[in-house]
Amino acid sequence: MNIRLKSALALTTALTVVSPAVAQDQSGWSLAEAAEPYAGTTVDVVFLLRPGYEAAKEMIPAFEEETGIEINITDLPYENALGEQVRDFVAQGDLDVALIDLVWIGNFAQNDWIVPMAAIEEQFPDIIDPDLDLDDFFPLVLDAFGSWDGTVYGLPFDNYSGLLFYNSCMLEEAGFDGPPETWEAVMDDYGPALTKDGKYAYALQSKRNETQSADSFARMIWPFGGSFLDAEFRSNLSSEESLAGLNFRQELMQYMPEGIVAYDHAEAVNALAQGDVAFITEWSSFYSTLADPDTSRIGECLAIAPEPAGPAGRKPALGGFSLAVAEQADDDEKAAAWLFIQWITSKENARQYLDLGGVPARQSVYEEEGIAESFPFVPALVESWQEGVPEFRPRFAEWPEISEVVQQYGTQMMLGEITVEEGAERIGTEMEAILDKAGYYDGDKPLIQ
Amino acid sequence: MAGSAVSRRTLWGFIGPAILVLAAVGIVPLVYAVYTSLHYFNLTNLKDQEFIWFANYAHVLTDDTFWAAMGRTFILLVTALPIQIALGLMIALLLHRPGLTFLKTITRLGLVLPMATTYAVVGLLGQVMFNIKYGVVNQMLGWVGIAPIDWIGDPDNAFVLVIFWDVWQWTPFCALILLAGLTTVPDEIEEAARLETKSWWTVLRHIQLPYLVPGLVAIMILRTADTLKLFDMVFTLTRGGPGNATEFISLLIQRTGFRSFDQGVASAQAVVLLAITVVLSQIYIRIFYREGP
Amino acid sequence: MAATGSTSARSILPQIVLLTAILLFCVFPFYWMVTTSLKTQLVALSQPPQWIFTPTLGNYAEVLFEDGVGRTMVNSLIVAVSTTVLAVLLGCPAAYALARFEFRGKSDLWFWFITNRMVSPIVLALPFFLIVRWIGLLDTKLVLILIYLTFNLPIVIWLCTDQFRSIPYDLDEAAILEGAGHWRIFRSICLPLAMPAVAVSSIFSFIFSWNELLYAIVLTRNDAKTAPAMAISYMEGYSLPYGKIMATSTLIVIPVLIFALIASKQLVRGLTMGAVK
Repeated sequence: MNIRLKSALALTTALTVVSPAVAQDQSGWSLAEAAEPYAGTTVDVVFLLRPGYEAAKEMIPAFEEETGIEINITDLPYENALGEQVRDFVAQGDLDVALIDLVWIGNFAQNDWIVPMAAIEEQFPDIIDPDLDLDDFFPLVLDAFGSWDGTVYGLPFDNYSGLLFYNSCMLEEAGFDGPPETWEAVMDDYGPALTKDGKYAYALQSKRNETQSADSFARMIWPFGGSFLDAEFRSNLSSEESLAGLNFRQELMQYMPEGIVAYDHAEAVNALAQGDVAFITEWSSFYSTLADPDTSRIGECLAIAPEPAGPAGRKPALGGFSLAVAEQADDDEKAAAWLFIQWITSKENARQYLDLGGVPARQSVYEEEGIAESFPFVPALVESWQEGVPEFRPRFAEWPEISEVVQQYGTQMMLGEITVEEGAERIGTEMEAILDKAGYYDGDKPLIQ
Repeated sequence: MAGSAVSRRTLWGFIGPAILVLAAVGIVPLVYAVYTSLHYFNLTNLKDQEFIWFANYAHVLTDDTFWAAMGRTFILLVTALPIQIALGLMIALLLHRPGLTFLKTITRLGLVLPMATTYAVVGLLGQVMFNIKYGVVNQMLGWVGIAPIDWIGDPDNAFVLVIFWDVWQWTPFCALILLAGLTTVPDEIEEAARLETKSWWTVLRHIQLPYLVPGLVAIMILRTADTLKLFDMVFTLTRGGPGNATEFISLLIQRTGFRSFDQGVASAQAVVLLAITVVLSQIYIRIFYREGP
Repeated sequence: MAATGSTSARSILPQIVLLTAILLFCVFPFYWMVTTSLKTQLVALSQPPQWIFTPTLGNYAEVLFEDGVGRTMVNSLIVAVSTTVLAVLLGCPAAYALARFEFRGKSDLWFWFITNRMVSPIVLALPFFLIVRWIGLLDTKLVLILIYLTFNLPIVIWLCTDQFRSIPYDLDEAAILEGAGHWRIFRSICLPLAMPAVAVSSIFSFIFSWNELLYAIVLTRNDAKTAPAMAISYMEGYSLPYGKIMATSTLIVIPVLIFALIASKQLVRGLTMGAVK
């Protein structure tokens, strides 16, 4: 576990490290008993190098101890995680748990690479925790991260919402008494006032990878009423609203640091942490990096709010990962995998997961007393998860391919190599070609995103 | 040179194992790639796999993105390679001059370092040293009054950066090859020439150049092949960005096959690249390197 | 070599400056890599970069003891050595045959061997993945060892063929008169004379294999993960642990550098072996 997390959490962990291991509820169900037939099974899973996974790694030994199930983790950078899993599933490899970014779920489900929760329930009735309580997950999150076409596959594990992190001291100095409520205010007031002396108002991470399509492109079209697709699955990117959002992004670049198209999360977060920009829109999970004095210079000045709203309302970026059982696993592995998924995302473990640096999607944990004091991002997070757009990025199987197209023209647009209109047009054409090839237009495939 | 005719058995004994192994690891996957290139073969949609004749090739051959990546690859080759050869030759001539033995030995050892450096590490190092804010290169430029340059975030600069690292890594290679070539010039010929003229250029043109030609050919063959294969350093430095600025052919194929999962199109791209590679190698090897058996 | 011409201070000074510049140009990136690996995150990301700081070995401790970089280096070593040995064992006899025997299609065969060196790994990576998965050898060192032959075998054959051809044929003829077979001539006469080429191509094979990235990231996951693949795994856009990345890079580069420096004489001699006779 890395050091900055440790220091950030030292306060809260002490209270809760007592493992809720020997949990046994009224119904008489216990993890140890349910897992007994599967002791000795090894479950293969892909993890990322992010705080939520570090937290899970701290917790896993307790699970292994109690069940005799071994969790075998492969660490991958995000950019390789999809490819690695797809190849493994195509080749009928040995992954037993799928780690699913919300934009991958359609892909995994349509290919039958993951098992619906109902099928697990039917095949292994004894391993389902009576206290699983699906309703306790934020409905938006369960729906977006774990479900496809109305079927639940995965349980939300590593969860994010886009938030506005800002440097309250810089804002105060410039005469603002609060963060921008709307994108319009960012453009008209905050931008001009905060961009001076080598400092910039805002950094929007726009590197040419999923960051470009999710954090930069999608973040700007939705609040302005735009979207990727219309009801017939034709491109909606050349609509007035989508273009308004993209042109807004283009214009806003005057208040962003030079070379913003090379900014990934790390660079944007660091720009705020070093006091070079006044605010960023980033995933909730960056709180620990920004709050830790080892990696951030802004200390007490850090403050958090929901993302600004556009003419079409507040449409914060939505992202996160669920865990689901892989179809290719054998029966024992499937059962063991489910036990693990159910345990790591459970209500009981939510607080410990939170304390260790993860962000659970359980409503109950955020209702606990004093949680907002220990975790200042919680109010904004809970607010962002009340409503949102599950198809913030379409979640069907074709998304990775479309995302590549968005990444290419999206960055070229920002660099001024092509105009916004031209770029939107080209993305639209190529996106429709991909969807056409996939059979959405001749009725072969239902229009689900 | 004489060669001898031998029995089939002896011949196969010598050469058979190499052929078999190389066929297994070199040809079998290639056949598979050709097979997928004739299909709609998308890893995320294998259910709809379909034989589509040459549609993928038609797509690739008319695809601007493909030719743009190909074009960038050749621009890199024709900019980086002459710089490498010119600088390499200068270094070789410098090291070839008599005197300063100790310093020259140290320099020769220093030249080995860039060549041996893991290519992926070069890209990582580039990220650290050329970062617009905490990069040491901009700091050093600042000392001589040059404003910070956005190396990685600007399309033109990023391309220059790739050229820079390619030059850094492979100029020593050229220098060492050419230096070895220079040392094959018989001393008495060189000395006689130097008595007649003071111009180093004349000596180079008329005396040394013939001895350098084989080395130059080897450099051209290897550098061309490696430029077409160039992946690791760019992947870790810019991932092909910003925009498309450093998307060379191998990165494009990686993106198509491993990120868009369109293995059919990626295979077609790969086969076209292979054809171009083979034609180029034919030209180089058959024309320049005539002494092949 | 005898010192020729004037070696006055006037001509020596620019030489010293130039040579020092070249040396610094080659060495500075290493200096920066090593110093960055000794920095904490906050120092590594400070602006302007710091040249004087309190070094820490924390990054090394983390990558070696927590992240298991050492194990991936052992993998790299095993793979690089094995594939090099195999390339030499297979390549030398083939090179000998190409240099000494007459048979039909010889130059095409030679061309095919060499062309393998030119093929971009990206062409073969995914087909390999599917085939390897099918025979159940994914994430094993054996697969990398075999696949690295696609670029190592051509190097061995290329350099050794040229070397064998430069050995006077009279030696063979004399041996044939004495009744020696081809294998004996190969083993006891030609191979010893071709050792420089064998050494050089081995060095190249080792360096290429040690440095290879693309096949390694596609074909390995845990057990057979090599060091370059490990270095890549820190490149999560999520955070940039510069210190750890540079510590891993240093660990990867140091062994191959030491190796290359020790072998630099052969390396330089051999670089032109094919070309310069």
